[in-house]
Amino acid sequence: MAFINYLIHLAILIGIYSILTVSLNLAVGFTGLLNMGHVGFFGIGAYTSALLSLAGFPIWLSILCGGLLAMISGLLLALPTTRLKGDYLALATLGFTFIMGSVARNWTDVTRGALGIPGIPKIVKGNPEFLVIVLIIAAITYFVFWKISKSRFGKTCEAIRDDELAAKMLGKDTFKHKIAALGISAFFAGIGGALFAHYITFIDPSIFGIGDLILLFSMLIVGGLASVKGSAIGTIILFLLPEPLRFIGFPSSILGPMREIIFALILLLILIYRPKGFFGRVDLA
Amino acid sequence: MAIATQLILNGIIAGAIYALVASGFSLIYSVTKFMHFAHGAVLALGAYLMYSFAVILGLNFWLAILLTLVCSGFAGVVMDQLVYKQLRKRKASGAVLLIASIALMTLITSLILAFWGADVKTVPTVNPVFDFLGARITLTQIIIVVVSVVLLLGLWLLMKKTKLGKAMRAVADNKDVAMTVGINPERIYTYTFIIGSFLAGVAGILIGIEQNLYPQMGLSLVIKGFTGAVIGSLASVPGAVLGSFILGLVENIGIWWLPSGYKDAIAFVLLFIFLLFRPSGLLGVKVREV
Repeated sequence: MAFINYLIHLAILIGIYSILTVSLNLAVGFTGLLNMGHVGFFGIGAYTSALLSLAGFPIWLSILCGGLLAMISGLLLALPTTRLKGDYLALATLGFTFIMGSVARNWTDVTRGALGIPGIPKIVKGNPEFLVIVLIIAAITYFVFWKISKSRFGKTCEAIRDDELAAKMLGKDTFKHKIAALGISAFFAGIGGALFAHYITFIDPSIFGIGDLILLFSMLIVGGLASVKGSAIGTIILFLLPEPLRFIGFPSSILGPMREIIFALILLLILIYRPKGFFGRVDLA
Repeated sequence: MAIATQLILNGIIAGAIYALVASGFSLIYSVTKFMHFAHGAVLALGAYLMYSFAVILGLNFWLAILLTLVCSGFAGVVMDQLVYKQLRKRKASGAVLLIASIALMTLITSLILAFWGADVKTVPTVNPVFDFLGARITLTQIIIVVVSVVLLLGLWLLMKKTKLGKAMRAVADNKDVAMTVGINPERIYTYTFIIGSFLAGVAGILIGIEQNLYPQMGLSLVIKGFTGAVIGSLASVPGAVLGSFILGLVENIGIWWLPSGYKDAIAFVLLFIFLLFRPSGLLGVKVREV
């Protein structure tokens, strides 16, 4: 029974993180925007939904608001930054994640700072029921992004990634497309964050940490850029890989760092030896 | 008045620390053209090695410093050879190298966490306090400012006067042209990583003695150093040093109005503004990719 509970727990996390990876792929893989603000959107969704539901809002409305606020921040972040390229965009968006972390730590009246927010209400009592909810939302996300990848919008995003100037010359409003891509991607990251908050029932500023960023990029690149299927599979692979460590009997103080070491090593190895990942159609440029 | 002096003094001390981080970071950036975030991890590693040699093993203080600096330089070269060189071979973009460097950063931070544990450590030292125009400054803080000024001058002389420095500037300026006059860029990269990581080691030792050690210390410091470098100019070491002192002063004078917890936020907002409106920094001439 304990083992089944453990599997359910793992499946829930895989579901939530696959929402994050699939949505990150729209910005990074399809549109070529090296967005490191995804963890920031994730955290915004988590904090918004947690605070609203604790203030008495209906839970589903809170989750939706979490997604919307993440989307608004994504749009606001995209307005000035999408004209930056490559590593400069990466740093500006990384800076955004750090600013959000700093706000969460210091705006103590609202976020309780480093103490974090305990007692976030669950959506349903049991984990199996919650797993069903997560899987449904993950399936919807998967479907939405699969549709986007086949749509005219998705194709234009890919054209912008491959040759922005050419896309412009064909009369495409590349600026609007980039902003929309980041906004949509941020919305789903916010929903993912909200689900995470309502599952774990406790969040603190460490949610904006760099460890999760490495995990997301490992899942994204192992699965492959510009492949919706790849992102889902990358998430599953990376979540299952370090799990055997749990049964070897390492103490938890070693287990946490070990997981991060494995994720970082996998990311380095894949960047060096197989930069396209398993299902990737493009290289990270 | 004493408070104002204290804030300015704190700003200069912080600036000296950031300048040590930023100079190595921007040296590596100007020569290799990518952002070596794991520079912060080398710094943290330096601090922990110093702690291990001096406190755990009880070695002679100066011997511990020497060993730490050698190990730091070595760590930088190993990172370059094992990761960055492989990526350069397949002509990976700056963005890929940036992601790799963040992965290296978490890798080393986690290794530190696994080996030394999460608890905060201190290097016990005798640290008398002096009075300076009504403000307090400790002996290590004076040493930090002096060492950083001396090292930065040394770095400047190295870049301007020596053959190695000239070769480094040649590679920084144009790698292909440098190759045609017989400079081997890979060799220059190795030297650059040795010097840059040596500076990170010095910063790690000084910060480790002045403040506490914790595994994530490298991240917050490299962000500060990096912000200082962006403010001044990423691609020029004097610019990075100037930017670091500006950052130190703005942060510390800023807490006159804001709660001190917002120090980091001030830095990030500055970083953001400069990335958006003046990515080449105060001293930079070329505006890259806008």
